[in-house]
Amino acid sequence: MSECIVVTSGKGGVGKTTTTANLGVALALLGKKVVVVDADIGLRNLDVILGLENRIVYDLVHVIEGECRLRQALIKDKRVDTLFLLPAAQTRDKNAVSPEAMRTLVAQLKADFDYVIIDCPAGIEQGFKNAIAGADRAIIVVTPEVSSIRDADRIIGLVEAAELPEPQLIVNRFRAKMVKRGDMMNKDDILEILAIPLIGMVPDHEDVIVSANRGMPAVFDEKSIVGEAYRRIARRVNGEKDIPFVALEEPDTFWSVMKRWIGLAPSKEVAQ
Amino acid sequence: MSSLFDRLFSGGRSASGTGSKEDAKSRLKILLVHDQVDLTPNQMNAMKAEILEVIARYCEVDREHVDVRLEKADNGISVVSSVPVRRVTTRAVEAT
Repeated sequence: MSECIVVTSGKGGVGKTTTTANLGVALALLGKKVVVVDADIGLRNLDVILGLENRIVYDLVHVIEGECRLRQALIKDKRVDTLFLLPAAQTRDKNAVSPEAMRTLVAQLKADFDYVIIDCPAGIEQGFKNAIAGADRAIIVVTPEVSSIRDADRIIGLVEAAELPEPQLIVNRFRAKMVKRGDMMNKDDILEILAIPLIGMVPDHEDVIVSANRGMPAVFDEKSIVGEAYRRIARRVNGEKDIPFVALEEPDTFWSVMKRWIGLAPSKEVAQ
Repeated sequence: MSSLFDRLFSGGRSASGTGSKEDAKSRLKILLVHDQVDLTPNQMNAMKAEILEVIARYCEVDREHVDVRLEKADNGISVVSSVPVRRVTTRAVEAT
């Protein structure tokens, strides 16, 4: 059974594209046949995050307008052979696509893939409506900030109005240290406000920037904590239960180790 | 000396912490309700004044400590008001 998942947030810059890329790679590494679709027409970026920007010939708008066949527009990722990208058009705008056209496109993709993952543009306008049109469920990305959570609340309402099932939440850019000193909302604070199920916690980490620089999602790096967070999200998306969250432990610093060593601090605890 | 010690061993943060997350949470709770209801601050004030006016016909109200706000409830949004009363006026007692 194949499924279409839209990754959305309302607010821009919270990590939708990074999430789409990493989730796509991680599901493909689990052996699933995956296509990631960039629905941000006019501002495409998923190609860059995946390091596939030099291989684009055709895009989503070409397919919808019948200028090429779907198969011609799909870019196969050479690093994991069950992953494909359908890029957005860069020189067109969101009005080149309609919700009906997206529904048709997604239905075609679902015939060939286990997972169709759509990277939704920021905002709640036409681009958002297009992106959610063919989706079976939504994943909402938030950062632990007032503005991001406010927009997510609005998006949850719109997702429910579109008659999709209850969306699931990824908390991104989580900083255990700030949570510990009470300067960042923890997962329970956020869940109390948004009241939807949590499917992932991703720590705020340099790996995200390094991997974006290289066009190599963190999931490919077995040692990356961000990669591990996304690998676990992929397993949850794929139906596995009871996988612990990675982002809750505070990373060791020189002093925290010293402090523990000389008995000034309790042994390592889970910060939330 | 102790502050230097604390700073060295806590990565620069203060022992007590500033706890700004509580500000974030309380602001969000109000924000989200108002995003849904779409009442302007003026309309909220007008509603509060009218509610008070009605109550004041029957009771002597402690106007300093009145609290009328919107809150998220299990099944939607509620107007929650707390109106302390100094005493119930005679007229109100007669009316019952």
